Amino acid sequence: MPVIEVRGLRKTYGDKVAVDDVSLTVEPGEVYGVLGRNGAGKTTTVEAVAGLRNPDAGTLSVLGLDPRRDRARVRQILGVQLQDAELHSALTVHELVRLHRSFYRGGADPEELIDRVGLTDRRRTRFENLSGGQQQRLNIALALVGRPRVVILDELTTGLDPEARRGMWAMVERLRDGGVTVMLVSHHMEEVERLCDRVALIDKGRVAAVDTPAGLIARSGLDQQVRFRTAEPFDTAVLDRLDEVDAVRLDGDQVVATGSGNLLHAVSTALVGAGVTALDTRFERATLEDAFLTLTGSRFDGEA
Amino acid sequence: MSATESITARRPGARAWAVLIAAEARMVSRDTAGLLIPFGLPLLILVMNGLGSAGQTTADGVGVFERYVMPVVLTIVIAVVGVVNMPSFLAFYRRTGVLRRLAVTPANPAMILAAQLIVALVQSMIGVAVGVAAAMLFFDVGLPERPGTALAVFGLASLTMYAIGMLVAAIAPTGNAAVAIGLTLFFALGATGGMFGPTENLPEPLAAVGEALPFGAAVQAVGDAWTGAALNPSHLIALAAATAISAAVAVKCFRWE
Repeated sequence: MPVIEVRGLRKTYGDKVAVDDVSLTVEPGEVYGVLGRNGAGKTTTVEAVAGLRNPDAGTLSVLGLDPRRDRARVRQILGVQLQDAELHSALTVHELVRLHRSFYRGGADPEELIDRVGLTDRRRTRFENLSGGQQQRLNIALALVGRPRVVILDELTTGLDPEARRGMWAMVERLRDGGVTVMLVSHHMEEVERLCDRVALIDKGRVAAVDTPAGLIARSGLDQQVRFRTAEPFDTAVLDRLDEVDAVRLDGDQVVATGSGNLLHAVSTALVGAGVTALDTRFERATLEDAFLTLTGSRFDGEA
Repeated sequence: MSATESITARRPGARAWAVLIAAEARMVSRDTAGLLIPFGLPLLILVMNGLGSAGQTTADGVGVFERYVMPVVLTIVIAVVGVVNMPSFLAFYRRTGVLRRLAVTPANPAMILAAQLIVALVQSMIGVAVGVAAAMLFFDVGLPERPGTALAVFGLASLTMYAIGMLVAAIAPTGNAAVAIGLTLFFALGATGGMFGPTENLPEPLAAVGEALPFGAAVQAVGDAWTGAALNPSHLIALAAATAISAAVAVKCFRWE
């Protein structure tokens, strides 16, 4: 049974279509990315999964339960970190974790959890006096306090500095190692590429593609390229006849071979076979961002 | 589907309620400015009247303190807590997403409303205790002639103020707006209801209207009960009507986000 199943979700606000037609299936234990521009419908989709939005059409299930009809049961196993939701401003980190812990039957030890998100030295600080990054870490702690089997993280690392961001990534990896299923909303490409087993590209309220990050890059049809120079000129025909190579061109004193498959290995082997010594070899491949642009057909404007 | 069957719902229990009420109590007690009026203003009014009218009696021979000052002081406590303070917290919680955040936990955001009501009740009781104790100690005021009736009337008046507070919380878009609306209502009801001096000093039509509004009705009814006079049913009807109307509109208009 899939952990999260969304079928034909549609949600409009007035005459604005937030989600047009979204279907997706999240399997047990995977980190599932939801990637898209601001306004593409990511947050509305996950808020519907969390039971905060009543869809105009479509069906939703979390571990076989309806997020709205079986609200009370879903709440016990689903942890949610929302974008832009503040907490009791005058309560301290410790008080807030204890408060949220009390809502669940079982759950994490508050002190241990505070330690895991690196807020031990801030445990007596009020929410209103925390930095943005610290507030974000506390929000994540509260999403995990009930030891959920499914976690929704909406813009997990927005507002975090690079070090804190890496800390959060390590935390998501530990969640996955512990068998927790994670739905991760993001517009941070490096984050999605590093953490997600599969990614749904959401564009204009629809799913443009679902695949692994590498699969999306391959699907975008963007080439890999190997760039190098040689001490002596050589006959590029040794590269032209390789299956992996689509084209070879000269760029100043550099040779650029573009192609697919195991391109770097094929080119290196062919050069060694021909007795050519390559210098300053650089391998370049399309990033997830390049693939995103290709697959959704327009410029990515994530920070807007 | 055993994975699904093993998931059982569980309403937050007594412990969750206790933790939540304690959390709301902390929120209220850490809002120092918000504590000043419900505890400070009644004492101020008590002292100012004590210097002027302690020991005086009205034309029909009852003490001015028992007939007017104590009812005004106690009504101020419940009106500030109910109409100004409580709704400001609720509107702030909605505005900043606290209610929305709670909606994705096993706790229902309605629990916060209930917890705030309980904390408001405790806050009112403390304010009333402080006011009554100060009056008994320094101005020689006795307990009400009919304590049970006084308590029941005061309970009804508290309910009215909380209902008005819920209405303010329902219509105010932000915490600041709730304070502004609440304070305006508080001073309008208070001024026409005897907060700044006996309503006899007001123009007759204004005094009549004030007495039919919650603050004035509460002052009159509590004053009657304190001095042992017969209750005027119109005051009780006024309070009950204000409660019913405010609660109905609040329930209809209240938004969780």
